Amino acid sequence: MPNGATFADAYPTQARHIRAAFWASFLSLGVGAFFGLIQALHRTDILRVIESQTYYTVLTAHGVFLVISFTIFFLVGVFQWAVTDSLERPPVDMRFTWGWYGLMSLGASLTAFAILAGFTDSIDVRANVLFTFYAPLQAHPLFYVGLVVFVVGTWLAGADWFRSWLAWKGDNPGERIPLPTFMVLTTMIMWYISSIGVAVAILAFILPWSLELTGSLNPTLTRTLFWYFGHPVVYFWLLPAYLLWYILLPKLAGGRLFSDPLARVVFILFVLLSTPVGIHHQYLDPGISEGFKFIAMTNTMFLLLPSLLTAFTIIASMEHGARQRGGEGYFNWLTALPWRDPAFTGMALAGMVFAFGGFTGIVNAGMNINYLVHNTLWVPGHIHTQVGTAAALTFMAGAYWLVPQLTGNRLVGRGLALVQVVLWFVGIVFMTNSMYRGGLVGIPRRTAEPQYEGFEYEVAAGSVGELNAQLAIGGTILFVSAMLFLALMVLTAFNGGTEPIDDGSIPPALSGPEDSPAVLDNLKLWVAIAAVLVVIAYSFPLASIVSRGGLFGPDIGPIPVAIDAASTVARTALEAVSAVVR
Amino acid sequence: MRLRTSPAKLLVLVALCLVVLVELRTALAFVGVSLSIGATVAVGVAAIAALLLWAVRPAGSGE
Repeated sequence: MPNGATFADAYPTQARHIRAAFWASFLSLGVGAFFGLIQALHRTDILRVIESQTYYTVLTAHGVFLVISFTIFFLVGVFQWAVTDSLERPPVDMRFTWGWYGLMSLGASLTAFAILAGFTDSIDVRANVLFTFYAPLQAHPLFYVGLVVFVVGTWLAGADWFRSWLAWKGDNPGERIPLPTFMVLTTMIMWYISSIGVAVAILAFILPWSLELTGSLNPTLTRTLFWYFGHPVVYFWLLPAYLLWYILLPKLAGGRLFSDPLARVVFILFVLLSTPVGIHHQYLDPGISEGFKFIAMTNTMFLLLPSLLTAFTIIASMEHGARQRGGEGYFNWLTALPWRDPAFTGMALAGMVFAFGGFTGIVNAGMNINYLVHNTLWVPGHIHTQVGTAAALTFMAGAYWLVPQLTGNRLVGRGLALVQVVLWFVGIVFMTNSMYRGGLVGIPRRTAEPQYEGFEYEVAAGSVGELNAQLAIGGTILFVSAMLFLALMVLTAFNGGTEPIDDGSIPPALSGPEDSPAVLDNLKLWVAIAAVLVVIAYSFPLASIVSRGGLFGPDIGPIPVAIDAASTVARTALEAVSAVVR
Repeated sequence: MRLRTSPAKLLVLVALCLVVLVELRTALAFVGVSLSIGATVAVGVAAIAALLLWAVRPAGSGE
């Protein structure tokens, strides 16, 4: 890219495509954040604008719009930018590139329709199954079809990036894979390996069951297949944030990435370790032996390694940048960092929250201590620090640098943008602190009515009322912050006739690819090792689950979640009575 | 008015103060020290006020 040129100058067609992905992402963020606010105010009983029965529609929408649509549309945009910019070439065929974007949009629209139709009785479509869609909760088939089409879109996106890399490789034989492209390719390898699980769960079991082609399924099997994908999907959300921390943050700090080889090692470790751990989400599931759960726990603890390596590399890069800017001393260099820059500050604060949330993740991953917090409010506390901040705040901060590069326009309201990222930081700490504390005393997650009659939670400090107030205040701050972000993005998009402050160049790493062993770029080798690890971790548990409950389960029928409650109770009671009589 | 630090750094420091305050109350509860909401707010107001006073105090005064 010529010096001083923005990405939009060098690749106008690709910039338009990435902008389209970002707008889909931002639209999802707005809708998802709105449902988040409704939820926060409803379950704390501060403001109730919906019936409690509708809570699950809101909760499903909040989850799917944010953790599927917002995150993944944003990451495909970031990945497209990273591949195009680092290979210095557009995709081989832009029609294909628009094609996968179209598939993703179609899938997201179908799923969104299935969820949002739950708000009206005039359309006979429901999908109140939450983001995890555990069977026997059953959604309308459109929900599952939409998810499949969306995931296929991401697969084709990955194929597009591999195709670009192969074309580049043909023109540059013997060259090391540029680091941003390496990160994209390894992330997509992890995504291919892991999303096979959810594809099998939906296509082989859940979708035929929702279409009434099969009469039953094995919920333990579909849950296990979901979590085979469900933990790596966390890294699918997180690794684009890592990419921005490794590629953009050092530049914003005024320096260069400390180590390219360490970054490569980190991404390979995620390819190897992120999938054979999913059973740690199922510690309380019956039907899976304790031994398998213990193995999953051990594997999970290894995942700390790439996160700690990342913390070291990123902080070292930031320190290098600060010292380039005149920072001195053991800690005084921190004051030399560009705290005025919302892109830098947002990412730095996101990293800080990520470190804290990582420690809470160790609690989730520990088999014995997990029993204390399983299915409590602690778990959404953890996901909001990790995906809701490490990923989401990094994406928003990254957008403050990327959107000007993609539009050729200067960011509107730089000072307000700084306030926005700081608001998010404060809001998330208020909200998640309340969630963690509530979880420790057993307040359940995923319910509109967390308080029970004749029972009081013994909160360590304060009261449930205080926790509720803190959660509602935090949730409201987050909503305001999200709206401010969207407003600034819209204003920036229309800020024509201006130029970005920063140029789009990314400086090379201090320790470049020439310092890393060539074997790190041998993607086939890492795929093979990852596949072996997955087979070792999952073949015995899956065989055991199928041998106990069968492929299609012991006659498990659907539980439609949006039907007349009285008739359900009556039917269940009649079935119970008839079973006793028989 | 000249500040001893930039408004951006001051904003981040105030945010960190709030965050430390929220988390400190929880941490103290684990070691048997419970701060009421009133006391927490008072400590917070005092900490942020001290921070702001430090920021607006001319550099070199009191030396």
